Amino acid sequence: MPDPVLQVEDLCVSFTSGGVTADVVRDLSVRLDGGRTLAVVGESGSGKTITGRAIMRLLPRGASARGRIVVAGREMLSADERELRRARGSDVAMVFQDSMSALSPYLDIGAHIAQAVRLHDPSVTRRAARARAVEMLDRVGIPEPANAVCRFPHEFSGGMRQRAVIAMALVNRPALLIADEPTTALDVTVQAQILALLRELQQEYGMAMLLISHDFGVVGSVADDVLVLYAGRQAEYGSLRDIFDQPAHPYTVGLRAATPRLDARLDTGGERTRLRAIPGAPTSLRDAGPGCAFAPRCGLADQVGERCVVETPLPTVRPTSESGGLHLAACHLDRLPALQEVAR
Amino acid sequence: MIVYIARRMVTAVFMLLAIAFVTISLFFGASKDPARAMCGKPCPPETRAKVSAYMQTDQSTVWQYAEFVKGLFVGRTYGEGAQQVHCHAPCFGYSFPNRSDVTTLIAERLPVTLSLAFGAAVLCLVVGIGFGALSAIRKGGVVDRFSTGFAMFGLSVPTFLVGLLVVQVFGFMLNALPYSGFVSFSESPTDWAWHLIGPWMVLSFILAAGYIRVTRTQLLNELSADHLVAMTARGASARQVNRHAVRGVMVPVVAMFALDVTALLGGSVIAEKVFSLHGLGDLLLSGVNESDLSIVVGVTLFSAFLIIIGNLIADLLMPLLDPRIRRA
Repeated sequence: MPDPVLQVEDLCVSFTSGGVTADVVRDLSVRLDGGRTLAVVGESGSGKTITGRAIMRLLPRGASARGRIVVAGREMLSADERELRRARGSDVAMVFQDSMSALSPYLDIGAHIAQAVRLHDPSVTRRAARARAVEMLDRVGIPEPANAVCRFPHEFSGGMRQRAVIAMALVNRPALLIADEPTTALDVTVQAQILALLRELQQEYGMAMLLISHDFGVVGSVADDVLVLYAGRQAEYGSLRDIFDQPAHPYTVGLRAATPRLDARLDTGGERTRLRAIPGAPTSLRDAGPGCAFAPRCGLADQVGERCVVETPLPTVRPTSESGGLHLAACHLDRLPALQEVAR
Repeated sequence: MIVYIARRMVTAVFMLLAIAFVTISLFFGASKDPARAMCGKPCPPETRAKVSAYMQTDQSTVWQYAEFVKGLFVGRTYGEGAQQVHCHAPCFGYSFPNRSDVTTLIAERLPVTLSLAFGAAVLCLVVGIGFGALSAIRKGGVVDRFSTGFAMFGLSVPTFLVGLLVVQVFGFMLNALPYSGFVSFSESPTDWAWHLIGPWMVLSFILAAGYIRVTRTQLLNELSADHLVAMTARGASARQVNRHAVRGVMVPVVAMFALDVTALLGGSVIAEKVFSLHGLGDLLLSGVNESDLSIVVGVTLFSAFLIIIGNLIADLLMPLLDPRIRRA
């Protein structure tokens, strides 16, 4: 097996403020190979964005990460400032959710991309970097790239801006791309275009992609593997097929049921159905005690009994029929009952 | 660029002419009679009429305005024979109580106001940006709480109160600073600064409040801005990122500063009064008290001119800081 592009082992991220510590990511392990896409899925506050930021060591003030993160052979958590600067934007790059705020209002589009080039190769002249920017804008499908480099972010539409952000992230051909909700701020047709573009560029460059999303529709069209996070912990990990067809964690089932589907009427034999919501709200990370974090919201916890409240479930291997890949779930139930019943 | 500046200047000339007209109209609208103040007590009606005719304030407002504009180009002559006074072009009017033309009066007072404005501007920038930046960097810390309170105080307390407090505390109680008077810079730079520290403190205290607030808010916005995270994600160093953040802070600060400096140059009536400095503000005040039309119009026009120039400079600087404006 070749070395993975991204390897995360026992990652813990905690925030400290006013003497109180909250663990937002706990005991997370991930392995991602080049050319593959791993989707990280979860509700707001599940720790998916923080995980992405931790990989690039872009954590906000007051947050600290423990464990081990290796990106393209580089230990990220023990790297010094200089090494980090070299890795960021070159080995690993990021696409942000809100393209408007991710671009500086004072720089034109070309300056952003040229900056990314010259930060990693000072020998490139301004003019050459600018030319690279034009090339890159052309590659991500921006019409009239020679004109577009001189445009400012506010002069672009949302879709164009996100294309520019992608161009900026990919100009140094990173081994790993972290896409944090890259299409959430876009309308549906543009969403599909951006996803197709990301997929296409990924194949062309052979890079690994970590896609952070809450939208199973997006995940289904792009991901190879899926990691479901709940309260900063790994709830379930598996190939797209396993997660979609044989979810082994009640939370995954709940998330799937909460995703709007165009074919929902067909599923229920023409009957109108309401979109299901997972009851309750995510547990506060501050008063996390023992037991399964999802238990208070889980429809199956009663069946298992006290164990869910007392013992924290660890990710265990599930037998999978189809893909033969690794399938992990952190649930005390070995086998979930039929889907309809779980998602009450 | 040059065309732009020229166009702005032409607009400015018309603007100033309009301001002169409004000032003259308002002056007489407030039923002020310059002749009354000049003719002394007692003032029989015949004398008053004579004085009024001599000062050319007995004519209609429009006629006076026309004379004023004419005076700008060819100068103005008041009275005849032994009593004749001439005001050379460009004549902004003749102050009879001061027996001098307004241009000379303004030129005499200008060094005081310039000194006052210079120190106050520098001090308020240093204090305002300094405290603003420090409180943004350590949000919620001791400095932040102190400077937020400081700014609140500065925004809400009137200038005369701060002025009198400074005079009382530093001048009388501590006996540390002179509480009045002015020494020109060329005479003795140290005495010059020494005499101005009080008024500088007062004016910059009042002005710095705005800068503390704007700098703090703007820097906080910048520091949490995604585009700076994105810049770090591109591989930029903390130093490069900070330098970029400063830019976002500069834009509103420069706009504010241009206006404040011009306001300061137009004279600070209250601070000058409190510290007995004879600058433009003091001149304007005496002009109003003595119903001296020429001084009121002259100083008003001078301030208006400064504000127009200040705005022009700010407008020219802005696109250098924020390229988006260049496009619009």
